Amino acid sequence: MEDLKDKIDALFIKVNKPTRYTGGELNSYIKNPEDVKMRFAFAFPDIYEVGMSHLGLRILYHLLNKREDVYCERVFAPWVDMEKLIREKNIPLFSLETKTPLHKFDFVGFTLQYELSYTNVINMLDLGGIPILSREREGLPFVIAGGPCAYNPSPLSEVIDFFVMGEGEEVINEVMDAYVDWKEKKGEREEFLEIVSQIKGVYVPKYYIEEYNKDGTIKDIRPIKKGVPEKVKKRIVKDFENVYHPEEQIVPFMDIVHDRIMLEVFRGCTRGCRFCQAGMIYRPLREKSKEKILELTDKLVKSTGYEEISLASLSTFDYSQIEDLIKELIEKYKDKGVGISIPSTRVDALSINLLKEIQKVRKTGLTLAPEAGTQRLRDVINKGITEEDILEATKEAFSAGWNNIKLYFMIGLPTETIEDVEGIADLAYKIVDNYKKVRGNVKNLKLTISTSTFVPKPFTPFQWARQDSIKEIIEKQDLLKKKLRSKVLKYNWHNPYMSFLEAVISRGDRKVGRAIIKAWEKGCKFDGWEEYLNYEKWEEAFKEAGVNPYFYANRERSLEEVFPWDVIDVGVNKRFLIREYKKSQERRITPDCRLYCTGCGVKDFDEGVVCFEAPKKQIYKR
Amino acid sequence: MKRLRNKYTKDERVRFISHLDLLRVFQRALRRADIKVAFSQGFNPHPKISFGPALVVGATTEADYMDVDLEEEISAEEFKKRMNKVLPPGIKIVESYEVDVNDPLSKRIKAAEYILKVNFKKNCKDVENKLEEFIKRDAIELEKETKSGKKMIDLKFYLLDLKALEIKEGYLKLYIKLKLEEGVPNPLNLLKALNEYLGDVFEMDSYKLHRKNIILE
Ligand code: SF4
Repeated sequence: MEDLKDKIDALFIKVNKPTRYTGGELNSYIKNPEDVKMRFAFAFPDIYEVGMSHLGLRILYHLLNKREDVYCERVFAPWVDMEKLIREKNIPLFSLETKTPLHKFDFVGFTLQYELSYTNVINMLDLGGIPILSREREGLPFVIAGGPCAYNPSPLSEVIDFFVMGEGEEVINEVMDAYVDWKEKKGEREEFLEIVSQIKGVYVPKYYIEEYNKDGTIKDIRPIKKGVPEKVKKRIVKDFENVYHPEEQIVPFMDIVHDRIMLEVFRGCTRGCRFCQAGMIYRPLREKSKEKILELTDKLVKSTGYEEISLASLSTFDYSQIEDLIKELIEKYKDKGVGISIPSTRVDALSINLLKEIQKVRKTGLTLAPEAGTQRLRDVINKGITEEDILEATKEAFSAGWNNIKLYFMIGLPTETIEDVEGIADLAYKIVDNYKKVRGNVKNLKLTISTSTFVPKPFTPFQWARQDSIKEIIEKQDLLKKKLRSKVLKYNWHNPYMSFLEAVISRGDRKVGRAIIKAWEKGCKFDGWEEYLNYEKWEEAFKEAGVNPYFYANRERSLEEVFPWDVIDVGVNKRFLIREYKKSQERRITPDCRLYCTGCGVKDFDEGVVCFEAPKKQIYKR
Repeated sequence: MKRLRNKYTKDERVRFISHLDLLRVFQRALRRADIKVAFSQGFNPHPKISFGPALVVGATTEADYMDVDLEEEISAEEFKKRMNKVLPPGIKIVESYEVDVNDPLSKRIKAAEYILKVNFKKNCKDVENKLEEFIKRDAIELEKETKSGKKMIDLKFYLLDLKALEIKEGYLKLYIKLKLEEGVPNPLNLLKALNEYLGDVFEMDSYKLHRKNIILE
């Protein structure tokens, strides 16, 4: 063991950014592994800078380590320089805290945040000395997974031993308790899987079978083991006010993507954008009280010394007491030089005014997301903002002194036409005109237009829709490249091959899973990194696995089709999704459900589930 | 406003954090300790903290210096105590004393002493004599990368002392004393020159470097 530690230590000098692997940061845990009953490796399938920026990791790391009988350590995907070294020297992938090889843990828990990290999941297991297939893991750790992508567990169902659906704060403790019990009784591996299959929210893939029709669609997904649930219900934290939220946070030595305090102010979203998976799967809306948030920030500032607090949620300006909260935070921390940041800006004047206040303490950028270029298409996707909102908000921002604004759009949305794509450019030029009106000229203006590409996601009203073909996407991007040629504009677009792969995997079944393994065997990893995506290898992998990727990405589904994720129940029911899909085709909008319940079903999902109701006057009117 | 000069150590656990990382570490520790730092004036105010010349990444130190200007009345002893409570494991202030606010650290630092251990990758005989010859040369030329391209420098001008502390089958341990100011060659530059002189005998990325002392004037 000591020998291994020395070997690892000798690597650090040879790699780029060694603090990705050294651990020892403030507020990380040092425990003696001998003193605990369970060793849990929290695995993030991307590099340290990305993984450490993730709120879920931060919550579960501290939550698990609060338990005396558990030691939770971290492991990230090693960057290619480190991977090369450890493969050469035959050193297994190790945890940051104690440099323990992955295969020595009781659990390896992955969080699945994006589909293009799946080859990294497989690669990390392989590097950690763990067979990549679940069925070959006798005597080795249990490999588990959660996070938004886990809601379609099919593609990784041969790799992951069991999935945990929904919010982890409570269920992870139940799994840990069951493990202690099982370990003390010296049970068989199979027995533990049987035990956890009875815990609400747990899906053990090998207890279910996926059967296909002749045309390749799914005929049925059903349990093949007695006593396991027909449908696995996601977990919802009911008491969000008092649910565990860390009062400390690891402070990395190196600069990471989101290097600041992250405080979750609410969970869920009521706006109902039809492309947005997060907006559906994290329902219902639950807020923390302002008092609770202030209490937590106080503790977090003291324990981390960070210079910035990020108020995290899917749409923070929708927090019912946002004005008071921001004012109080500024008042409290401005003398300490602690600023506030809000991940996304709502497109309205009120938000801009609040940002103006925030800006006085610490400069912040301005990012708005109109998502679509025309009103017609914004109605189709239920993005409840108008062109006036956008123009007014940007005008307000220009008067307040901003010169750089970023605008986010999506291309390839259902029903999109060339006019809609051109609408993005038209809107951009209207904003430029606005700047000219406010400032007299456009000398200092920099407007960045970014387009991502629509990826149909499970559990959204667009789960039946097709994705544009790669050719169509490129044509649309080329059109925008041409139209947005101007000194004051900058156009960024998303790699179309990546979006295509995302679409294949996000609605993929177990057959797609085999193609992912094949792609990894051919050397694919870091597929979300421009410099490492190797699309030709993916094409070969699909061919060899007998998978037609276009069938998954570019095919419109019938409303009757059975989906791989139909075995999971997220609370929002299919009737609602179908209704929303149909309404989208008729360009009918559905209001924010804080105004009145629009019947998504999550309320009746489980006893004690309550949707947050804001005092009516505070609801942002569309 | 008052200025405190602090001597701090950085051990094995944090030897890979960079100079820039270290600045953040101290800024955040000051906030955790709830100590009011003075800020510079101007468009982009920043806390008045200054360090001596950067230590190479991967090295440990038991005697680096950091000056900080404070807005509040707090004794050096108290400052040290409160900071050590909140600094991350591996970084510690060992000495703290008040200096005049017009006494810049950069003008005080003169030289530094190091211990450098490096593994041999092949046999090297008669190291002691060869070391002596190495120092005795008229010039120790070295190519150094600077912002304006590559440049030849004479290490001899900076080298105050060099001797072998231990010569073993597998490794060599050196004592090095070098002038220290911004931009001067560091012990690794010296090691590179020595390695060339001895005929490529060291495993260059196996070194352990420790700053033993900084000499202030
Ligand atoms: S149940 Fe009603 S109020 Fe609750 S999230 Fe669904 S639509 Fe909104």
